[in-house]
Amino acid sequence: MIITLIDYGMGNHLSVRNALKRLGYDSSVSQDPAVIKSSDLIILPGVGSFRRAMENLNRLGLSEVIRLAATENGTPTLGICLGMQLLGSESTEDGVCEGLRLIENKITKLDGSSDIRIPHVGFNNVYWETNNDLTVDINQNSDFYFTHSYAMKDDDKTADYIYCDYGMPFVAGFRKENVFGVQFHPEKSQKNGLKLLKNFLEIKRA
Amino acid sequence: MLKKRLIFTLLYKNGSFLLSRNFRLQKVGNIQWLFKNYHFETISDAIDELIVLNLDDDENKIPEFLQILEEIVGHCMIPVAAGGQIRNMQTASALLAHGADKLVVNTACFEQPEFIRELVSCYGSQCIVASIDWTYQDHPQVFSHSATQEQGLLNDHLQHLAKLEVGEIYLNAIHRDGTGQGYDFDVLHTIPENWKIPIIFAGGAGHSSHLSQALENPLIDAAATANLFNFVGKGLGNARNELLRSGAPLAKFNN
Repeated sequence: MIITLIDYGMGNHLSVRNALKRLGYDSSVSQDPAVIKSSDLIILPGVGSFRRAMENLNRLGLSEVIRLAATENGTPTLGICLGMQLLGSESTEDGVCEGLRLIENKITKLDGSSDIRIPHVGFNNVYWETNNDLTVDINQNSDFYFTHSYAMKDDDKTADYIYCDYGMPFVAGFRKENVFGVQFHPEKSQKNGLKLLKNFLEIKRA
Repeated sequence: MLKKRLIFTLLYKNGSFLLSRNFRLQKVGNIQWLFKNYHFETISDAIDELIVLNLDDDENKIPEFLQILEEIVGHCMIPVAAGGQIRNMQTASALLAHGADKLVVNTACFEQPEFIRELVSCYGSQCIVASIDWTYQDHPQVFSHSATQEQGLLNDHLQHLAKLEVGEIYLNAIHRDGTGQGYDFDVLHTIPENWKIPIIFAGGAGHSSHLSQALENPLIDAAATANLFNFVGKGLGNARNELLRSGAPLAKFNN
């Protein structure tokens, strides 16, 4: 199985690859459209600013490659942290910036008007209304590791969601057909994180 | 509910991990020692985050530290913050490429505020941890360059860091560092009203009761210890279980 982590200059690939290795899977890091197109699974990691990430993806011609792989090829695609936000429609970070639009969800800053601290850093529990392929064998209210200041809304009502509460409920994870995202870091979330990554690896191509 | 965090800090210089007591350093062992004799993986299963600091001010030693960092990251599945000697984007991006999730900055916050802004704009606030070494003169004062140069009032520095939009504060008490006598909670009076940035409390933890005191405090988001021997072997795991039993708001890894 070919697992490709998209390299656009803004992600911690090493930790994700280490986690995949623990689960017995090899992966590679690439920005080559041909490699991405022929992958069985795509992972889009990411740390940093939304605008800078989209600029990099567009400059490298990868936005279209990822969109086509996910829509026309039906390749299961997982965005992690900023990578998940990039799959959305737009973010208000550094002025409004358009995302990959694989799901029509907006990204806005967490609401810091209450007494919560921002960024949202640390383990927080997640919950869901309907089970989906990512939540197999994971208990409701399991803790996952988050570190972010912006969060995704659940505007698209056709997707399956995992939620977390921090000042407001926000999207901690989603599945829309073969497109998946998690705001938390499964590769940094001890055993529950490994279970979730395993669930993604076992998803069958549409 | 967002859980509080237990953090372990590893200090590294010249091929060795170190014990620090009031910033005087003592060599303990190399990376093989860390994994084989110290059973580091047992410890990493009991903590929420790891911080690895390079205390060598020789720039030529950065590549060696990068290798150490990568090896450590390969042995644990938790977030790792790395720092020490981060003065330019090249070092910052190299640390991230070698597995760091966050960057810890200290002296650069005083000398290179523009560089800190660039780090925040490139990697996001959540990636930047500002470490502060403080102790009392008349009031809590901050020090740079491994606690050797006085830099003014802690309160002023906190306001400065908030303006730079760093993501977290690592607040280390020089006079408690490595003593195991417990944290200095008086400093919390210095934290400005309506403070929004998460605070990691460091300096003085020697016992699980010290950790629980810190975790119970609403102003503290995470409790850190850099003492390699106060929580040796299963010490941190036991401390974590004890804390969970007493109702401390920590994540359950085996839910």
